[in-house]
Amino acid sequence: MDQSSPAFLRVDRFDNGLTLVMEHMPEVRSAGMALAIVGGVSTDPEHAVGSANLLSDWILRGAGGRDARALSAALDSLGVQRSCAADTVFLRFSASMLAKTLPEVLPLVADIFQRPQLPESGFAPCREMALGQLEAIEDEPAQKLNMLLRSQHLPPPLGRPALGIKEHLLALTVDDLRLDYRRRFTPDGAILSIAGHISFDEIHDLVAGAFGSWQGPKAAVVVPGIAPGGVRHEMQKTNQVQIGLAFDSVPERDPDSILAALSVNVLSGGMGARLFSEIREKQGLCYSVQAGYQSLRTQGMIFGYAGTVPERAQKTLDAFVHELNRLTDGISADELQRAKIGMKSRVVMNGESSGARAAALMHDMYHIGRPRTLDELRARIEAPTPAMVNSYLERNPVRQLTLVTIGPEPLTPPPTSAPKAG
Amino acid sequence: MTTFKHGTLANGLDVIAEVMPHAKTSAIGFMVKTGARDEDAAVSGVSHFLEHMMFKGTAGRSAADINREFDSLGARNNAFTSNEVTCYWAQVLPEYLPPALNILADMMRPALRTEDFDMEKNVILEEISLYLDKPGHVLFERVMEEHFGRHPLANSILGSKASIGALTQGQMRTYFDAHYGPGNMVLAVSGAVDFDQIMGLAGDCCGQWPHIDVHRAYPKVELGNRRHHIRDDKLKRHYISMVCAGPSAQDMERFSAAVLSDAVGDHDGSRFYWSLIEPGLAEEADFSTFPHDGLGSFFAYASCDPSKAARVEEIMLAELNRVRSGALEAEEIARSKTKIATSTVMSGELPLGRMRNLCSQWIYNREFRTLEEDLAELEKISEHSIRGLLETFPLTPMTITTLGPGDGSAWPG
Repeated sequence: MDQSSPAFLRVDRFDNGLTLVMEHMPEVRSAGMALAIVGGVSTDPEHAVGSANLLSDWILRGAGGRDARALSAALDSLGVQRSCAADTVFLRFSASMLAKTLPEVLPLVADIFQRPQLPESGFAPCREMALGQLEAIEDEPAQKLNMLLRSQHLPPPLGRPALGIKEHLLALTVDDLRLDYRRRFTPDGAILSIAGHISFDEIHDLVAGAFGSWQGPKAAVVVPGIAPGGVRHEMQKTNQVQIGLAFDSVPERDPDSILAALSVNVLSGGMGARLFSEIREKQGLCYSVQAGYQSLRTQGMIFGYAGTVPERAQKTLDAFVHELNRLTDGISADELQRAKIGMKSRVVMNGESSGARAAALMHDMYHIGRPRTLDELRARIEAPTPAMVNSYLERNPVRQLTLVTIGPEPLTPPPTSAPKAG
Repeated sequence: MTTFKHGTLANGLDVIAEVMPHAKTSAIGFMVKTGARDEDAAVSGVSHFLEHMMFKGTAGRSAADINREFDSLGARNNAFTSNEVTCYWAQVLPEYLPPALNILADMMRPALRTEDFDMEKNVILEEISLYLDKPGHVLFERVMEEHFGRHPLANSILGSKASIGALTQGQMRTYFDAHYGPGNMVLAVSGAVDFDQIMGLAGDCCGQWPHIDVHRAYPKVELGNRRHHIRDDKLKRHYISMVCAGPSAQDMERFSAAVLSDAVGDHDGSRFYWSLIEPGLAEEADFSTFPHDGLGSFFAYASCDPSKAARVEEIMLAELNRVRSGALEAEEIARSKTKIATSTVMSGELPLGRMRNLCSQWIYNREFRTLEEDLAELEKISEHSIRGLLETFPLTPMTITTLGPGDGSAWPG
């Protein structure tokens, strides 16, 4: 029996709404963990976008009986590598450590989520940090593009910038944010994932002790609006034009999502995939060109990126859209085989890291409601035939492409294969 | 238990392995002891451009063949070039290690065809443009230039648009012939590995490569110590970098330097964190050790609002002064040792990281160190060792280069 057996996975649901998902990895000494509440930036109050980001910093500035320095020293003394951040869906604390330290680490994490001090003195620095990071995005065109593309393509509030909105951050007060903390930090819908050299019963008891009495309101429900979509150009004197593309796809829980993911890997899996070989290798148009599949609960999306000097930007965009349109003509059995083997070997490679496994367990619980073994992940990748992928691509041509560019001149959007209405 | 294996082919190619019986993957890499520091000004950027050309085909394979074959193995593969080394690597499932070795070894004898050279030049120029849009990178190149002056560690890895534009295929071939000898590189494997099989395959694939003599130059260095501001009014933030001398990759004081760097400039719980990040003065602030071949550096970096530039720089210097005069507290040392020990143990669980580590140790020191040996060395670090380190490397004189809008005159005096 190895790690791919279901016997190495366990899910425990607590009365307060917290789900604990665990994987035992007998060959490692480490443990990875992630604790997430469904309280990401999409749950920020309408006029306080950036609250989740501020809270992800503020809760670390003292918790339980420890002030900021004592808390940091306690985690450092246990060798805990950690980060805390808000994305669209989650506000998440992630950490890696030696598995034997978990009994001491879990109570500290419980303090951070349930008993943060939220000291007044820490509020202004958190806000300064967020404002600084937001301003720094202006100096990093590739990051700025990603932020603009999400807000252009996704329906509000899902496309909100994770760092927040400057005016909103400036208007926030200590009292607003403390109130928000009480509304947002709830075990309802929260997921704690732990992977590594662990004993299920021991961890269950530790978690029950540290999180069992955690109480809170129902988690917020997000109702998406209408996505802006379309074309947006941001004039900026950059060396490279930043090109971002996005279109909708099926969400992860849809059985067809594996077909979408495989087709994106044909486009952009390895160095032999279409985008790299056609646009960079054969035409020498750019250094970076790639596409990826991402999913929220309600929708999936495919993002594309290329960066190139202004003289080659239109040609690069045209070539990129040509490759997207060409997918409708189908992919070959060889291409599919390479996409499959690439995805399967990444499953194994990620399976070696306890931190990556903890993140994957969290992903599975949120999107499909249960953890998947490495074997199940591999079987899911192996199953589709070329006919299945091609039929999917025929039924789902690229339509309603969102295009965002940053650079000295706007570009002309090329036509997609499907009519715009849809 | 992991075991170390070593063999040498008749032409001088060292083959080394760390066999991890429980690993589910294998990693393999060729690391060549050549990089930007081994270039003349006339061929600035050739090491990195050559790294790209190595993927462009061999006598028996086209570029498309190489990429398609790696994809068919499900490989995660790439290459990187630094000032001192160039490394080509792949991570695969154990059953695909032999074919991965076959492709990588073939790549090490590239065709360097004219049409590929001309096409790839565009890609390199794009990469230079890409990095010109990254202030942290622009600043790093400039501070290294200021700090190392005429020493080749000042050389740019990417080269400039002018030097790449003028580079010829003939110059690249000459550079390749002078540096890519089997005695100037190492083949390393880690993870689930059958070493005897690897030795046999290495002999078949690499045994006929001719031996060449390669000697890296180690000129005397005159380190810079001036402060310099680069004005760019397009930027919104102010960027600060500082470089001073530190232990080399051969110096055992590198272990103390790692502890010092963590305590002073890790992103969590360090002195820079409490004085710059926690109060919201800077959004980034770090201090790190940067060991080179025969020399070493400490590197400090921060980014902040231009209105806070003077204050942030003053605090960075004050913190470094405080370290110089009072060293570190016992508690800080203990915490940093635990943090480093934990990440050392975790890195040992991943074959890819171990392979890179193996390569570097061999290229710089021709030695193999187990994780346990590294952990034991780390455990010895005390207040006394940190004081000793600071006596040898007192964090001064310092080269300071800043980048941002305005003339940087906010600095008092």
